[in-house]
Amino acid sequence: MKGPSMDPVTFSIIRHRLFRVVEEAVITLKHVSGSAITNEGHDLMVSLYQADGSLLMGGVGFLHHLTSAAEACKAIIRKFEGRIGEGDLFLLNDPYTAALHTSDIYLVAPIHHGGKLVAWSACFVHVSDIGAMNPGGFAPDAQDIFTEGFSSPGIKLVDRGELRQDVWETILNMVRSPEMVALDLRSMIACNNVARERMLALIDKYGAPIVDAACKMLIDQSEARLRERLRELPDGHWQSRQYLEVKGEIYKVLLTMTKSGDTLTFDFTGSSPQSKYSVNCSKWASLGGLFAPLFPLLCYDIVWNEGVIKPITMIAPEGSIVNCTRPAPVSVATVGAIQSVNNAACSTIGKMLAASDKYADEATAVWHANHFAIFMFGNNQRGRLAIGILTETFAGAGGARTFADGVDIGGEIPNPISRMANVETIEAQFPIRYLFRRRLTDSGGPGQYRGGAGGEMAIVAHDAPDGGIHYVVSGKGTKFPQSEGLGGGYPGGVNDYVWIHAPHEMHDVDRFAQSLDTIPGDSESISWGVFPLMGSDALYIRWNGGGGIGDPLERPPEKVLADIDAGLISERAASEVYGVIQNEKTVDGAATKTKRTSLRQARLSSGAA
Amino acid sequence: MRKRISASLFAEGGQICCATCSRQLAPAGGSWKTKVALSTVLVGQLPGAGTNVETRVVLRRFCCPQCGHLLDTETALPEDPFLEDVVRV
Repeated sequence: MKGPSMDPVTFSIIRHRLFRVVEEAVITLKHVSGSAITNEGHDLMVSLYQADGSLLMGGVGFLHHLTSAAEACKAIIRKFEGRIGEGDLFLLNDPYTAALHTSDIYLVAPIHHGGKLVAWSACFVHVSDIGAMNPGGFAPDAQDIFTEGFSSPGIKLVDRGELRQDVWETILNMVRSPEMVALDLRSMIACNNVARERMLALIDKYGAPIVDAACKMLIDQSEARLRERLRELPDGHWQSRQYLEVKGEIYKVLLTMTKSGDTLTFDFTGSSPQSKYSVNCSKWASLGGLFAPLFPLLCYDIVWNEGVIKPITMIAPEGSIVNCTRPAPVSVATVGAIQSVNNAACSTIGKMLAASDKYADEATAVWHANHFAIFMFGNNQRGRLAIGILTETFAGAGGARTFADGVDIGGEIPNPISRMANVETIEAQFPIRYLFRRRLTDSGGPGQYRGGAGGEMAIVAHDAPDGGIHYVVSGKGTKFPQSEGLGGGYPGGVNDYVWIHAPHEMHDVDRFAQSLDTIPGDSESISWGVFPLMGSDALYIRWNGGGGIGDPLERPPEKVLADIDAGLISERAASEVYGVIQNEKTVDGAATKTKRTSLRQARLSSGAA
Repeated sequence: MRKRISASLFAEGGQICCATCSRQLAPAGGSWKTKVALSTVLVGQLPGAGTNVETRVVLRRFCCPQCGHLLDTETALPEDPFLEDVVRV
């Protein structure tokens, strides 16, 4: 049936109003939430969905939630058929139904107009705690989903505008920091309320048929535009391989992306079987994981909605690390297999774009590829239980582009608005003190265009009533670089987690070391589990940089010198990787030419593959 | 007609060529990595390597056998095959 006709101005206004609905809901979420992970790190997402649960307007935040929250809406529609009322609000966080891991709670709300269901709003935050084995939600000790905390495949939290107190109290009774989780949940309730109010105002103004027609046009438009873009790109297939290591076991995420005509297929055949550790992810999580880079890289000028999803197919073998079966543990998924799916998709899409004359400038090497996701917990300086993440994990690093370096500490592809909190924000919440936090030398992948630098930091306990604090580390990126380079660029560096055991005589003595080398004590590399930060011990962390693009020997020597001055690369890297020789802080042109020639010769002496 | 394959490669006349020196490397439409120079370096020996890097992981560097230009890289365990990137021409 043909819908109502619409002039382009009205269509454009409705399109922009939908953007604003999401934006205002995001602002609400951030203002009400009291968690640094939400309002500082922006580990959040808000989107709008059609009446059938399909994606209508993808918002900002962690983009791998856009499709998963659509599945959450559809799951609620199936489960509560005939029992979805005006003013209802549902909670869902089961990874085997739709969510990514239990601590990323979806609150989804139907939007009714004139008694008819017309749309859904959905949002998520990583709640302060979910009652898993380890505080904060990431549970490296978990052996199955049953030990990863409260998990619901769908429950009504608000019934026709009334909070279900029994459900509310039951949830809060299962988590460690109920007052913070309550604030997290209230921020999402407020967010959905604002989304509903603004959607209803839009519908009241233009009428439901017109808004509905505009939404359908938007979806058709997005599908047509993405298919047109795909037709402009070369056919072919591209591969990426990501390694994860947990406690000596190595896992692979292998992706073959095939582009044919106006379709894209992401095939994860060849990936490792599911792990006994919680780095696995479910199929909805993998789907979201591949869309997270696809939205910004291929649809930067296309509305993110159901139309973008239609040309895409995913093949994820059941029982693999990218489509695990219940009850496999998945609590580390968002920084485990999902992030590897992000990286692999970013890499293959980057290769495809780089093969196009028209779109080569849109290509990028893999950005910051590995969250370190350290959750601290313990009594803080005010005697209260504090649980929260070190938000530097969101600081990221940009991958190089085909015409420019990656941005240092430049965020990440799956979340366009990620960022880190001020040092003071974290020090105010936890009994710790930063020794330093800065860009990390030699972390950006070398290349003609260098990957953006990652960072390094060190913390010690400070003013801690219990003598320190503990932390959960879900590190799986210390063994293998994951920020792949492109077209000859090197990968970015790796993460590192170092527990520095203070020498006995240093106990209770403040220290002001400014680098890992100058922190006194014995260093121990750690990566998985729960560890103490007590007494005068220190925790040193470094996070990975972005991948580089192009041959490092093609990087202008003056830029290499500038990188040395800025502390972004070492003199050793300048010589051994970039082939640049200095002489009294200037480029020695002749020596550099000789060095680069010798490095090229050395490559050739290895012979044919 | 010259067709772009990547930042470092193009295809012409049914051959994949080095974008720097135009040396023909391999038939177009297939994997080219077995036809070029390969040098590997342990990731743990690269500047800036972390304290805990897997001892066996290498950076494969695929280079033009004529001009030595670095065409592509991949991180790999020695037993894993080359990644296959094929542009249909």
